Amino acid sequence: MTTRLLAQKIVVAALGLALFVSAGISFHRSRNLAEPVVLGPGVTSVKKLGEYFAAIRGTVNDCNLYFMEGREPGGTMLVLGGSHAEEPAGRLAAWLFVENGTVEKGRVIVALSANRSASTMTRLGGAYPPDFTIDTPSGPRMFRMGDRWTNPLDQWPDPEVFIHYPSGQELAYVDIRNLNRTWPGRPNGTFTEKTAFAFMEMIRREKVDVAIDLHEAELQYPVISTIVTHQRGQELATMVSMMLTDNEDFKIGTEFSPLTLHGLSHREIGDHSPAISLLFEAPEPFLDATRGITSREQLLTGKDEFVVKAGRHGLLFEEIDEKGWPIAVRVGRHTSSILQVAETWSEDNPAKPLAISGVPRYAEVIEKGVGAFLQDVTKAGKDRLAYE
Amino acid sequence: MSMFTQAGIVLATMLAVYVAARLFRLSTELGMLAAAIGGALVGGFGLPARHIAEGAATYLDINLIFVTATLFMNLLKESGGVAFVVRAILQRFHRSRVLMLVLLTILLLVPGALTGAGSVTVLVTGSLVAVVLHYMGIPKHKAAALVFVNACLSAAAPPVSLWAMMTAAGVNMPYVGFFWPLLLPCLAAGLLTSFILGWKGERTDAIKALAELPVPPAGMNWLRVLLPFAVFFGLVWMGRQFPHSTPIIGLPMMFAAAAFASYLLSPVRLEFFRISRETIDQLLPLLATLTVAGILVQIMTLTGARGLLAVTAVTLPVAVVYATLFLVLPASEAVLMWGAAPVIGVPLVLLFNARGLDPIVALAGMSLIWPLGDALPPTAIIGRLTVEIVGFKGAYGRFLRACLVPAIVIIVIGTLMVIYSKKLGFLTGL
Amino acid sequence: MVTLFYYALVAFVSLLLVVNLVRSRSWERDVLYVIVLVPFLLRLLRLK
Repeated sequence: MTTRLLAQKIVVAALGLALFVSAGISFHRSRNLAEPVVLGPGVTSVKKLGEYFAAIRGTVNDCNLYFMEGREPGGTMLVLGGSHAEEPAGRLAAWLFVENGTVEKGRVIVALSANRSASTMTRLGGAYPPDFTIDTPSGPRMFRMGDRWTNPLDQWPDPEVFIHYPSGQELAYVDIRNLNRTWPGRPNGTFTEKTAFAFMEMIRREKVDVAIDLHEAELQYPVISTIVTHQRGQELATMVSMMLTDNEDFKIGTEFSPLTLHGLSHREIGDHSPAISLLFEAPEPFLDATRGITSREQLLTGKDEFVVKAGRHGLLFEEIDEKGWPIAVRVGRHTSSILQVAETWSEDNPAKPLAISGVPRYAEVIEKGVGAFLQDVTKAGKDRLAYE
Repeated sequence: MSMFTQAGIVLATMLAVYVAARLFRLSTELGMLAAAIGGALVGGFGLPARHIAEGAATYLDINLIFVTATLFMNLLKESGGVAFVVRAILQRFHRSRVLMLVLLTILLLVPGALTGAGSVTVLVTGSLVAVVLHYMGIPKHKAAALVFVNACLSAAAPPVSLWAMMTAAGVNMPYVGFFWPLLLPCLAAGLLTSFILGWKGERTDAIKALAELPVPPAGMNWLRVLLPFAVFFGLVWMGRQFPHSTPIIGLPMMFAAAAFASYLLSPVRLEFFRISRETIDQLLPLLATLTVAGILVQIMTLTGARGLLAVTAVTLPVAVVYATLFLVLPASEAVLMWGAAPVIGVPLVLLFNARGLDPIVALAGMSLIWPLGDALPPTAIIGRLTVEIVGFKGAYGRFLRACLVPAIVIIVIGTLMVIYSKKLGFLTGL
Repeated sequence: MVTLFYYALVAFVSLLLVVNLVRSRSWERDVLYVIVLVPFLLRLLRLK
């Protein structure tokens, strides 16, 4: 090898190494970024998902389960944030419950990172920011931006086609890593199926009455700004939707979970446990295929000229203007919807009431911002601090 | 500055850098890489290492499929298996041109249909078929076109059609009901293609051909050739038949198992490491194109250039969309390859859905047209691979012209499927 | 078990890419080998 050839190879390899090291550090950081959670007054204990299914214990998906036990007995409600970790309003709304809520009657169980693995990577080709920051009175709080699918570092390889268990329905192969396509899971399945199975075990053992899965959707997706409900929750969901539309300043519809569409929480949790399963969708223009510059700002403000243009051409299932869809609006929709479910459930089931206080509703979240309801990490005692 | 202006500047810069790079005689892959870096710089993102590496990782699994499938084929070739099969086909069927064309079409449709990748058809059966076509008196450019167009159709054919799957996933629609809307047109168009390109030719001169063909090593037999394929298809079958009682193996490992079987069954001792090294050498342009296409999509998404393309596409009047599908789909495929499904397919399906069309049949029709772009620059990835595998040494344009008539047939079928999707909805069986 | 095989496969392909990089005589191919290698190494070291 000539000296010139050698020098050329060294230069090229050094550039590759620089790319590898720089990107590698960034990937490592976002996979390991710890998100603090201040345990609010209502949190009575923090359990692990692995306690319900040993195969999940100690894994990346052994997520925290925040138990908020009421002073008086009643019903049990499960709130799942982070089924899809690229939908931050779902996680943040659940966060506001853990850091602010108090339960007077019944019990609330909250997961902030239902598919924790999915929150440790960003989508290939998606150009997502690795993280985002919410300003709070006590300083900025940083959160991981995640993906829709389990990290391939935790589940690899994908099959040539994903055949859902137990229905046998064929789905896109990548969706074998999509928690909201693998319900009800199976004990000897893939990592994501085991995660779903662990949640099903928890739902059955803790006798959950209502399970709520928090999501966000692109505006081009027809299932948006709505509550998708299992057939056993139809009355509850319809009433919640009516109450919210009448009493709060936003519209939310109701859709029934299709009987033949399998793998989704609104179908399978209801089919495989006594719980009523509901799924909420809030608008997230960041997920739209027509979105413009992919940035933290777009993620949090939901402002996007391109998506607005698509809306003007009648291509969207939700309205959008230059005000966008700020994160506070999306989080507020979710908090109000959850609180309304608890209220309507209690009216319909007086023997199993759910009474929650301290969690801000839609108008209050918009007025003060999400950050106003994230507590000061530095002032929380060690025993009142958890990490996601 | 409005987002439209900003993304427009980025897009124009990327185009200019690409053209400039090509003028400076850089390869397509380096041109695309330069365009991506240029776009990131002009978009104000500097040199975003994280995004470059993340984009580069997009097609890692597909790269693994290409490596293992090609290794399998190369081992089979070196063992003399290919020569054995070519001789056998010629000896048995050379008297009936119709039967030869029908059998060869099916042989071409199967691997891509099962794997979703046209390149797998080219690699697994394309080279075998090309040799047979040669001795049927079909000129190399036409033989390459026949293999390529059938490879395209094989990729679109069910059960695995990646464009349909990726787009369906992008609009949260289950991948169900696609089997007949994909299979029927693929089969019809495949046979039409083979007869259009392969009907004319000389009478198959089996004796002369056999004299020219290499003689396989002693001990080569059908079992040694077919067993590795049986391993591959057996694993695919197992995964589909018993999805919940067998481990998930994935296509790369299935091909690796077939390659290993081929290695063990070879009557001559094969130099495994040398063949592997040469496989990587042979595949470098393909692997690099996929890697760089991932980087390009990532930077286009980051800078809003992807959104600008998508929003422009979906806000055109529906009649214009129908009339330009023949251009938009292959062109998007040529630039983004499978990335075209999330970038262009998702907004188009949403547009069609909003306009009351049947999204499944419409998407099946689009899936038929998309892969034709695999012959077009800048990537031209499957087209180049086909030309290389078939051994056509002439101008690339000559190969493209040979593809034209079958491509028009496919485009007409695909476009009509979109326009009349509502009426064809019964095909989905839903 | 299957996953381990995949890491072994990625390691093997990485090795082949490095060997070919050393033997290549064109700077363009050098660049392509390196850019293709990056995602393989990121997976091998469990970074992406």
